[in-house]
Amino acid sequence: MNATGLLTELVLVFNRYVLYYFTLLNAVYLLLLVVSVYEIFRFVRRTFFSDYEQILRSELSWPISVIVPAHNEARTIVETVRSLLGVNYPEFEVIVVNDGSTDDTLQRLVTAFGLRRTDRIYRRTLPTETVRGLYGSLEIPNLVVVDKVWGGKADALNAGVNVSRYPLFCSVDADSIIEETALLRVVKPFMDRPEEMVAAGGIVRIVNGCDVKDGRVVRIGLPRRALPVLQVVEYLRSFLSGRSGWSGLRSLLIISGAFGLYRKSEVIAVGGYDRWSATEDLELVLKMHEHLRRARRRYRIVFVPDPVCWTEAPATLRVLGRQRNRWHRGLLQSLWRHRTMIFNPRYGAIGLFALPYFAFFETLGPFVETLGYVVIPIAWWLGILNTDFFLLFLIFSVFFGIFLSVSSVLLEEISFRRYPGWEHLATLVVASVVENFGYRQVLGLFKVKAFFDFLRRRRAWGRMDREGFRAPEPVGR
Amino acid sequence: MRTIVLQLIVGTAGLLLFLIAVIIVNKAMREVRESVESRRRAAFEPALAVYLGSADSRSILSYLPRRLGRRDRRIVETLLAEAAAAGAQRETAIGRRVAAIADRRLVAAVGGNNAIAAPAAAVVRDEARGRATAAFEALGSVDRALGDLDSHRWWRRAEAAERLGVMRCPRAADRLVRLMGDDVGEVRMRAAAALGLIRGATSIRPLVAALSDPSRWSAIRVAEILVGVGHEAVDELLPAWDNLPRHARLSALDILARLRTPRARDLMRRCLSDPSADIRARAAHGLGLIGDIGSVDALQEGLGDGAWPVRAMAAKALGRVGSPVAVPALARALEDREWWVRANAGEALRHLGDAGREALVGMLDASDPYARHQAVAQLEEGGVLDGWIADLGSPDEARRGSALRAIEKIIALGRTDHLAHQAASIAEEGVRRFLTEALRRAAPAESDEGADRDAGGSR
Repeated sequence: MNATGLLTELVLVFNRYVLYYFTLLNAVYLLLLVVSVYEIFRFVRRTFFSDYEQILRSELSWPISVIVPAHNEARTIVETVRSLLGVNYPEFEVIVVNDGSTDDTLQRLVTAFGLRRTDRIYRRTLPTETVRGLYGSLEIPNLVVVDKVWGGKADALNAGVNVSRYPLFCSVDADSIIEETALLRVVKPFMDRPEEMVAAGGIVRIVNGCDVKDGRVVRIGLPRRALPVLQVVEYLRSFLSGRSGWSGLRSLLIISGAFGLYRKSEVIAVGGYDRWSATEDLELVLKMHEHLRRARRRYRIVFVPDPVCWTEAPATLRVLGRQRNRWHRGLLQSLWRHRTMIFNPRYGAIGLFALPYFAFFETLGPFVETLGYVVIPIAWWLGILNTDFFLLFLIFSVFFGIFLSVSSVLLEEISFRRYPGWEHLATLVVASVVENFGYRQVLGLFKVKAFFDFLRRRRAWGRMDREGFRAPEPVGR
Repeated sequence: MRTIVLQLIVGTAGLLLFLIAVIIVNKAMREVRESVESRRRAAFEPALAVYLGSADSRSILSYLPRRLGRRDRRIVETLLAEAAAAGAQRETAIGRRVAAIADRRLVAAVGGNNAIAAPAAAVVRDEARGRATAAFEALGSVDRALGDLDSHRWWRRAEAAERLGVMRCPRAADRLVRLMGDDVGEVRMRAAAALGLIRGATSIRPLVAALSDPSRWSAIRVAEILVGVGHEAVDELLPAWDNLPRHARLSALDILARLRTPRARDLMRRCLSDPSADIRARAAHGLGLIGDIGSVDALQEGLGDGAWPVRAMAAKALGRVGSPVAVPALARALEDREWWVRANAGEALRHLGDAGREALVGMLDASDPYARHQAVAQLEEGGVLDGWIADLGSPDEARRGSALRAIEKIIALGRTDHLAHQAASIAEEGVRRFLTEALRRAAPAESDEGADRDAGGSR
């Protein structure tokens, strides 16, 4: 067989593989969508009867420690803490961990909240970098600031866990705002099944384009720039028809670091957050699954679709690239670390379904897609490209992508309706179409690069340039 | 193959268009519905307010501006429910209207007699609720809700139970009691909430039994309902105690504690010797909330309990009871091997006034480093440390000397975070100099064996 013949054979094998791959992947997406629709409708129906007021009034509700790791977050930290101090919840404390910031994060906190150094005593259950000092305020007794030597986000969260006083802790990113009722809503599964619940995550929405005042989102809007709008649709799809589905299948692997509630004793039992991981949130959840499945314990890690955390999305491709590179490297690190769980029936649906999905589709997917764009011209050059079939395949795959995104917009409109205007809906539907032409492909390239960075053991966190929250325009302008 | 793919494309494109159409229609319909509902509310609200605020025996039907269609009836029921929930209070639009009418009646009835104005307002509120209940009966709403209790859809049963609670219809009590055995937790909870609103012994007994529900959330909700019922709940809880399972007893103790009823004192004291540590801890907590001076001895004994949660709760309770008799026992508890007990004992001493403060100052010389550190933390939290810092600027030499000695003692313990912060930020020049000098003299700070901040855990 000559070189052209070999190439032809390779391309044909690849095409066949891609067809199977594509069919299987879309079948999984469809399954997740169906389970998500069921889960969200069930949630909405139950929410109608859920008296959150009772949790709020009750002296019997679980108290919560909210932990905010902050590294060079001077721009948003005061608003974030204000929003956290204003949440509706009967008993909670806010612990901000200043993780070796080189800007004036600590100073801004000290000034804004009248903090003073204190000699508060706590247990050092998890090892962390040296804590330089603790700050508290007599006026705001439920606010504590931990100042420590830089050790990364995982290390900062571990320091927060050490200082925390309550049995549940909630991790919140410093560039994020949680809604007033978010703690009430995310804690409810813990109230329903106190023996089984281990962790719960809420939905993360994009704050770009919204007006923020005193740490509250006072007007919901869509970003002006295209890139964050595309991320709004991506987040809707990922949370409403992704995580809801995984949660319904009892196979949720990710609870966003931006907003997640955990049972402290279980986190300590697995050794807390791991510093080596680029995505400490994913690694923690995987470790807990592994630990609890091995111990043959009945447990639940769930996604709750309503408690909302608003976060700032990257506004430029460069920053987005850094963020996605880290996310994908973290996924690869965790998959490699827990590779013995993959296809292992001992780990139930996690080992037999969720991990294989992430290993084969999330890891290989970007390669298959990128390679596809390379193979098409080669096949055309070799004269083996069936143009009709190729076009039909392309159109179908694009339509299916649009279908998934529009379904998520529909789910949002029927259930939670956060985006109030007609223009918001129109923009989201248009973005659902547009994201298939360029944005999706760019994300694939980011992941391919992340794969090679993972092989090179690159560990950079990736700097996130932030614009800060947008204040409402003054009346009369 | 090509045909199949083509059909798939057409199908998916059709589905896509369908989804977009559903989005548009759904939003448009919702907006239209909201607008129509708002018009209907405006049409019925004044008539309903007049009916609820009046005192004659005419049926609601004679007050309404037109015969009710199905949708009209839903709006009228919603408005009545809002009014029944608020009474003649100003929390909702209809509540404000009813209140305005009731106010006029009140002024006419009592004139300027303020002594009877408040009780009269309460009577009007109850009257408005009573008239709302009568209106629900006249409109056939009660019978319809009772019918919905048999629905095979759980959310309809739950909704019907909720409506019956709002209607406060006593004849629904038996059906709601039966609904407490429903398979779906949400339905049971709605029934419980409705029974709580209807009240009466027949309603409260099944609520007490519902405390046995294994879900913490259900237990919380039933507990809240029983707390809302008030002291009538105590009449049922105390006799039922012996037949309650352990987790229901925990909830019962919480309810009794929150109601702060002295009638539960003996039960709680007995519970301090229960075999279950959870029960003992809750009982100690309850006695603290009741503030029972007579339990101080029993609580002091609790400080020696084998289970640390009981010791921690006993310490907290002693702080709440506020008897200085407990100061020596709490000072000893500062040396407990468990962090929570030390923290609660320290906090309790801080709340015990001068005697507690003196004990904390005395503990600065304790042989146990953990006790010393807890004492510093509490003195700092209670503002005593700041008081000493302020005394450094006092013209009274004795006072200044005493403050300096106390501060030097704290510096020797290595607890200098707060002092260093104050030395850097305090405005008064003399005090800053004194403090800086004291810190400099002590540097490098002597540290207790292994008892720095990071090691302040359990031993």
